Amino acid sequence: MNSKEVLKMFQPASLKGGSSTPVDERLRYKYFPFYLLVIFLSVIPIVLFEYFYITFFWKEPFYIIFFILIAFNIVITLYLLQFSALLISSLLIIIVKLIHNPNIGVFKRNLNNKEYKYWNLRNMIKKWPLFIVATNPFPWLKNRVALRFFGTKIGRNCLCDNSWISSEFVEIGKNVIIGMGSTILSFGIEQEKLILKKIRIADNVIIGAKCVILPGTKIHEGAKLNSHSYTLYDQELKKYQIYSGHPAELKKIGNEGQ
Amino acid sequence: MNENEYDNASIEFISTSGVYKTPFTIIIIIEIFLASLIISLVNLWFVNSLYYLLTGTQFYPFNTFVHWSYWLLLPLNIYVNIFFFLGLIMIISWVIYKILKILHPPREGIFDKGSKDWKYMHRRFWTAYFPIWLARAIPFPWSDIIVYRLFGTNIGNSVVAYEGYIDPEFVEIGKNTMTSLHICIFSHLIYHDKVIIKRVKIERNCVIGPQTLTSPGTIIHEGGILGANSYTSINQELEGNLIHVGTPVNVNFPIQSLDESRKKVEKIKSK
Repeated sequence: MNSKEVLKMFQPASLKGGSSTPVDERLRYKYFPFYLLVIFLSVIPIVLFEYFYITFFWKEPFYIIFFILIAFNIVITLYLLQFSALLISSLLIIIVKLIHNPNIGVFKRNLNNKEYKYWNLRNMIKKWPLFIVATNPFPWLKNRVALRFFGTKIGRNCLCDNSWISSEFVEIGKNVIIGMGSTILSFGIEQEKLILKKIRIADNVIIGAKCVILPGTKIHEGAKLNSHSYTLYDQELKKYQIYSGHPAELKKIGNEGQ
Repeated sequence: MNENEYDNASIEFISTSGVYKTPFTIIIIIEIFLASLIISLVNLWFVNSLYYLLTGTQFYPFNTFVHWSYWLLLPLNIYVNIFFFLGLIMIISWVIYKILKILHPPREGIFDKGSKDWKYMHRRFWTAYFPIWLARAIPFPWSDIIVYRLFGTNIGNSVVAYEGYIDPEFVEIGKNTMTSLHICIFSHLIYHDKVIIKRVKIERNCVIGPQTLTSPGTIIHEGGILGANSYTSINQELEGNLIHVGTPVNVNFPIQSLDESRKKVEKIKSK
């Protein structure tokens, strides 16, 4: 499998970006109404909030309070928008998953393929909340909170704020450190194939900066990956051992104590 | 070299920055709260005059000069408030940063995870993080450099810093240096169960290529170029006026002019 081509396609260009949710060009216009639906529904709570704010404070003795609180009003609306966008898109995703349960495997990239169509639809629904959550000063909202909304398992004390993690088929254990600018992809696109495979990262793993982890990778407990390296499809990194290179190869056999 | 200090050869892997960002979230909330309170108080006179234009009454006992042209200033008011917000956040976080520095002064060395140095390193980085993040969201490309200088990083004149991660402590960047997109300059690094903190020195006229990683203790001499997609290992010294590439850096070649490289290509073609 030519894994280098996948790397070219999906490495995001900026440290600020959210998790990558690509959508096929051919399906973009067809699924655009879903995108608008998520935006429209997530704006409703804000409109309600503003309505009550104005009707409550735009009275004779409260004018000063109205203007003093206007800066806080803006901050509250920003976070309310993010929260409602996350909530509504995760509800829509649950409905989509009830209609068609996502499977793991290798699929054809035809428009007739049901799996491929629903994968695009899920990405389209996730696009708006993941984008809006990435543009805020609280880094833990981007990955830890947003991805847990979509059902990704991320353990406690996990340090993964400055990386791009796919929003499906990823399991991350406790005390994991994932480096700055690393990409964890549970999907890959080869010429005419779509590959969806589960990534499992066990406890106490350290992944260096700017690593790329391809679909199907299993990282066992305490393994360490050097920065600037990538793993192949279905690669296994063994317990307490140090890997490096492109693709990752065993560099040193470590012990439990280290 | 001390006994407990790692050198270039003994390092097996370079990991990543280890700044936990949750425990000090309260700092950002306090900063946002204070800044927006001050902004709304400062803007009261302007809002008061707008309200007077609308209704003919004043909600605030102010004797202001009011004119219809005040409405033209409304977009400007909103825009200037954004910069005002950045300035306030910078001042508040600088004060918190100073207090943290007095409580536990930063030092270089190798520390255990969970020690006092490790905790205070997190807190200092976390306070510096928010103003830097905010400065990057503003259309002036040099605004983040101003913030770095405020926190005591030595950054020379006419430095170009594109979007990337640079630690706010123990980093020196000389004049006319360019750091490209998507770089990481770490002055601290996680190694097994320890964290290594060491000064990074980048001298004048250097270029740091895109997608690179500079580890603690790196020294890049004057005119050195770090090629794209490469990283330096701990305590590595890079010679000046050369291009350095490799993961970790192990190859270097001279900087050529365009004519020189053309001549070389012609030589190869003529053979």
